[in-house]
Amino acid sequence: MSGNAEVDFEKIVAKFAELKDTSELMIDLAYSSLLLDNKELAEEVQRLEEHIDKLHTEFELLVLSSQFKKEEAKGFLGLIRLGVAAEKIADAAAQIAEVVLRGIKSHQVLKLAITEAEETIVYTQVAEDSMLVNKTLREARIPEKTGMWILAIKRGEKCIRPRPDIQIQAGDILIASGYAEGVEDLKRLASPKME
Amino acid sequence: MPPFEKVEYKPIPVRELLLEMKNLSELMIDLAYSAALFNDRELAEAVLELERKIDNLAYLLDIMTMIAARDAEDAEALLGVTVVASAADKISDAAADIAAIVTQDIGVHPIVSDVFERLEKRLIKATVHKSSVIIGKLIGELDLAPRMGVDILAIFRDKDWIINPKENERILAGDVLIVRGAPEGLKEFKEICEARKAQLRD
Repeated sequence: MSGNAEVDFEKIVAKFAELKDTSELMIDLAYSSLLLDNKELAEEVQRLEEHIDKLHTEFELLVLSSQFKKEEAKGFLGLIRLGVAAEKIADAAAQIAEVVLRGIKSHQVLKLAITEAEETIVYTQVAEDSMLVNKTLREARIPEKTGMWILAIKRGEKCIRPRPDIQIQAGDILIASGYAEGVEDLKRLASPKME
Repeated sequence: MPPFEKVEYKPIPVRELLLEMKNLSELMIDLAYSAALFNDRELAEAVLELERKIDNLAYLLDIMTMIAARDAEDAEALLGVTVVASAADKISDAAADIAAIVTQDIGVHPIVSDVFERLEKRLIKATVHKSSVIIGKLIGELDLAPRMGVDILAIFRDKDWIINPKENERILAGDVLIVRGAPEGLKEFKEICEARKAQLRD
């Protein structure tokens, strides 16, 4: 076997990580769009759905064209099936977002199911003198401090994806998901610093 | 495949049914990936069992929403609920597909563990050592989410998985935990479980 095998593996790993991450982000964004009755978020989910179809095909091609050994065939079949499952999850998220795009007003039952769920979704605005202001997401270490994960940042009309080097600004609305216990901690971080 | 059971009609509020479907379906994704990652057949079987539970919940939810609709306007508002419920059902199906990779002895190539190394949100399996400081503690009092950004998804004890253990579940020596969270918190929690670290930070 050539030295290319490692390069292939690396590409497969990177592609699947993106596939998995995106599919799960889509679920959270889809529920967020329902909770906030926000079409923009729902459209972002639809865009990601198209993106994921492309990712999925690329992933399958990478797996199939990697020169795996005969005894590795099962393991590679497993990988392909994982990809199919991630794609199915993304489809389900798109289905949720469609409710918002159709203009059906979220039933109270839906909003309650989202806010009362064990993994809840919240949004909070960053205060002028919050300790988060001017920090990058990486520096802010929000998951470590609160157990909450930032899904998206709403800045004015724009919806920004939470890359680690994004700098948080005053007035940003952080949309986050996580266990209900972390909500208060997140809101505290976003509120004015205590003297 | 187990035969279909007759789902007994119970008047459970739509809200509760949907809430449970949402909770379970999302938990199942992480459990299914854990089963694939750690090649754990029992855990995979627990996921398949949850999938059947969700199917039953979905069935009841359909009945309840039909009963709840009084007119066309009502029906349209409730349509959103059934669409979301069916999406949760689909998510649980996807999780079951992942679990089936394990139960059908296909398995996933070991490079899958490299995938998880790269994600911000990771999954680990940790065994609680007999001299760990968390022994005898309730999950609720450990305050894991705010303290280190991790949470316990399942416990393997007495040859059975306890899925989504409640706050009042006590940690026992020999428990095998599936834990999810940020890398740093997971590393610390694993050290605590394995009694390589004796203190929970505040």
